[in-house]
Amino acid sequence: MSLTTMILKMSEGLGKTCAIFFLTLLFSLPLGMIVALLRMSRNKIISSVTRFFINILRGTPLMLQLLAVTYGPYYLFGISVSRNKLIPVVIAFAINYAAYFAEIYRGGIESIPAGQYEAAEVLGYSKTQTFLRIILPQVVKRIMPSVTNEVVTLVKDTSLAFTVSYQEMFTIGKQIANSQTSFVPFVVAGVFYYLFNLIVDRVMGLIEKRLNYYK
Amino acid sequence: MSEIKKSGSADVTPILEIRGLQKSFGELSVLKDISLSVDPGNVLSIIGPSGSGKSTLLRCASFLETANGGDILYDGKYAFKDGEYAGKAELNQFRTLFGMVFQNFNLFPHYSVMKNICEPPVLRGQDKEKVRARAEELLKKMGLEGKEDAYPYQLSGGQQQRVAIARALALEPEILYFDEPTSALDPELTGEVLKVIRQLADDHMTMVVVTHEMAFARAVSNRVIFMDGGFIIEEGHPEEVFGNPQQERTRRFLSNYTQ
Repeated sequence: MSLTTMILKMSEGLGKTCAIFFLTLLFSLPLGMIVALLRMSRNKIISSVTRFFINILRGTPLMLQLLAVTYGPYYLFGISVSRNKLIPVVIAFAINYAAYFAEIYRGGIESIPAGQYEAAEVLGYSKTQTFLRIILPQVVKRIMPSVTNEVVTLVKDTSLAFTVSYQEMFTIGKQIANSQTSFVPFVVAGVFYYLFNLIVDRVMGLIEKRLNYYK
Repeated sequence: MSEIKKSGSADVTPILEIRGLQKSFGELSVLKDISLSVDPGNVLSIIGPSGSGKSTLLRCASFLETANGGDILYDGKYAFKDGEYAGKAELNQFRTLFGMVFQNFNLFPHYSVMKNICEPPVLRGQDKEKVRARAEELLKKMGLEGKEDAYPYQLSGGQQQRVAIARALALEPEILYFDEPTSALDPELTGEVLKVIRQLADDHMTMVVVTHEMAFARAVSNRVIFMDGGFIIEEGHPEEVFGNPQQERTRRFLSNYTQ
């Protein structure tokens, strides 16, 4: 198989790779905020239960979570594995990344000085106004570098979908590598991920620049 | 100051009245039995060593800390009675009566000077154009013309504190609290902030100022309270408290300030 054929075949999986990437961000970024708020709840039970789940999601391999979400329903309840594996893959990714984002958000929220809340309170901001107008914008700016880190990791993590044979770019590459007994597809995959992350880096850099109007 | 109004005189309702206020943080009792009142147009300075409870007192009066006992009244109405706060809606009403200037300014860093000042009154439903006009006027008064679009990080500490004062004034409070407004500033910048506060006093703005600036307190206030260990040790006209302190503890404290 020629290099061009390999690249073309693998490119066919790029759409699915992007689907995992964008859908994961779409769901995990807001979900992470909900988890962060639960984690910071004054209710001890809510915060410790949330903490427990965060620890499980961060403490076990994403690969394992992918297998659990994809095949778990079959082994537990006899529900047949859905033909569209995108759904379980995105569920597993979104939950896993939400756990990481939650901790990043929590760190960001807790880094905002108490004086910001106090000023807002005395000036008559409601709790919601304080969070949305005063706290959140400052949190977003502070956590951008950490979020960029996660997003870069996510690009590479999409390759884990091969464990459930979801036909994204890396899974196809791996199949070609096996059938052709060639290492070349892995090199191609590496180049793909590198280029993808080059774009991610540019975009995140632009957002950070946008937020640089204040210190 | 021209004329001395006696606090608690019968014919005027004090804007702020505090009776037997108590506050403790766990085992540590910070305010033990504080009573004071501030009449309209008066300036009260609170002096005393660090940890004497001065800031906690202001923070209780502005509901930032929860007091444990006593009364707090605004315009003769109970905001806090026998250790119980008024309802949430009522407290929000009371919050419109006072403004607070913090030691660390606490400006919103992601807002321009103008937005810092204008957003709170606009969120309270006031007309945008009118608020903006008032803000321009306040900035002029604070000597900050042309700084409308600056962000807090672009300003000196003294300028930031003057923006914070303008922000508090934009809500047109009846009484303004200052919690060590110059303690985070170097001497050069302290002067410009004190000048602004003095101007407000001349305009008969009602104020309570917690400060370590003794000369300022003496010159600007109608009354001075010396606090130590959660108690009011001495209270009176600044000339009495500074010129002829009656309590040994006050004398000892003030002696640290005489060069």
